[in-house]
Amino acid sequence: MTALLELEGVHAGYGPTSVLHGVSLTVPEGGAVSLLGANGAGKTTTLRAITGGVHWSGDIRFGGRSLRRMHTEDIVSRGIAHVPEGRGICTELTVDENLRLGAHMRRDGAELRKDYDRVFAYFPVLKERRHLSASTLSGGEQQMLALARALLMKPRLMLLDEPSLGLAPMVVRAIFEIIRTINRESKVAVLLVEQSARIALDLSSHAYVLEVGRVAVEGDSDELKGNESVRRSYLGY
Amino acid sequence: MQEFLQLVVSGLAAGGIFASLALALVLIYNAMGLVNFAQGEMAMFATFIAYALISRGMSFWIAFPVTLVLAFGGGIAIQRIVIRPVERAPVLTLVIITLGLATLVNGVAGFLFGYVPRPFESPFSSDTVGVLGVFISYRDLGVIGVSGVVLLLVYLLLQHTTVGLTMRAAAHHPEASRLLGVHVSWMLALGWGLAAAVGAVSGIMVAPVLLLEPNMMQAIIIYAFAAAVLGGIESPLGAVVGGLIVGVTVNLAGVYVPFVGGDLQLAVGLAIIVAVLIIRPNGLFGRASVRRV
Repeated sequence: MTALLELEGVHAGYGPTSVLHGVSLTVPEGGAVSLLGANGAGKTTTLRAITGGVHWSGDIRFGGRSLRRMHTEDIVSRGIAHVPEGRGICTELTVDENLRLGAHMRRDGAELRKDYDRVFAYFPVLKERRHLSASTLSGGEQQMLALARALLMKPRLMLLDEPSLGLAPMVVRAIFEIIRTINRESKVAVLLVEQSARIALDLSSHAYVLEVGRVAVEGDSDELKGNESVRRSYLGY
Repeated sequence: MQEFLQLVVSGLAAGGIFASLALALVLIYNAMGLVNFAQGEMAMFATFIAYALISRGMSFWIAFPVTLVLAFGGGIAIQRIVIRPVERAPVLTLVIITLGLATLVNGVAGFLFGYVPRPFESPFSSDTVGVLGVFISYRDLGVIGVSGVVLLLVYLLLQHTTVGLTMRAAAHHPEASRLLGVHVSWMLALGWGLAAAVGAVSGIMVAPVLLLEPNMMQAIIIYAFAAAVLGGIESPLGAVVGGLIVGVTVNLAGVYVPFVGGDLQLAVGLAIIVAVLIIRPNGLFGRASVRRV
């Protein structure tokens, strides 16, 4: 499989505080990769570096082209949908307006209508609540809205930052089931940041474990799941 | 009763003018959490441009849209040149910059056009028409009509177009919007352009009443502040409703409250600002704002 996203020796941080000390990782075309690690290991910063939210050095390439010095708006228009920490829902807007915001760069009317149908098939509740304010949705529904909105951007890669955060286990299972479907059926690559390693490893085929800004361990998800010392020292279960 | 109704109608006309300028304030407040103290002076300057066009023989109804387009471009230019370099500065810095901008625009207008008040021909006849025993001037009806159309257009732009949607998203959630491909900085510039154009409408509508000179908008901006605060400084609809209420209240107070007369009408505007901030700081349509410290 060819690499869709490549990070090579990426250093990044906020002002004088550096958070990443040379992170390298690869997400293959259509692949599913987990990025695990404790609080403060640099998982969110890695995602933010990819979409230009923090200054970085090293190299980040998407589809073979470097993202160096590009603005966030232009990076995402190349086909990266980033669902940030806290989901980034516009609570002043309705559900429908949030979805239209995801699709606002698209000019392919017929395709877009099909994508709307597909999104509503994944998340029927969003169709029911289309005209309500997004602030009336529950946490799980907001996560669904964030995923739906990301899908309407027609991405080649989705960056998901802790989709399980603050949700009931049953809701988490449903949402991960849909992420898996999106990954398999729509061939959208996924880079998943998670605290709960077990559920992330079930989804991904490959995983990286970050420790204070460096990749401490990487490998096949199944391998990491089976490796008891890795599990104890890094994954906490 | 008849006098009362006549005062209400002419109050609505004044209210339409306040509403336009208040809406301009709200557009910029929404985009960057900033009260633009230069809004009135920008409107005054645009009115001078309209005056210059008309006095060179252009008809009012061509000069009016041309001025709005120029004001729109001017608003964008101000955002790009003056505001953008300090976009991330503390809000107090930005407030002082808009105060400086107000003084600057006022001085430039005085330098270019002088301080002698000039009559500005109204496009509407000063005749009156009787409706159910109330005499309304075409001038008041015209001002109400023009303000109404402009406010409606702004509403449609913001609520029913993709550009309006991205502008609203950029204003409230800049980070999340950027991740969806919204060019946030340009949306702020568009907000300034739109505010400048809407503000220009208030200047052009009020000039025939007040005579055109560089300090023309200094009272109007107080009423516009009152309108914006009354409506809840974040709400475009609130700005319009607030403008109409302030227009009618000030007009009625001038006649029915003995000591107010013509001299203290501005004080009524200030009293509204103070009263709203004490009794209902979020205004009529504002949401209670929660700020974690």
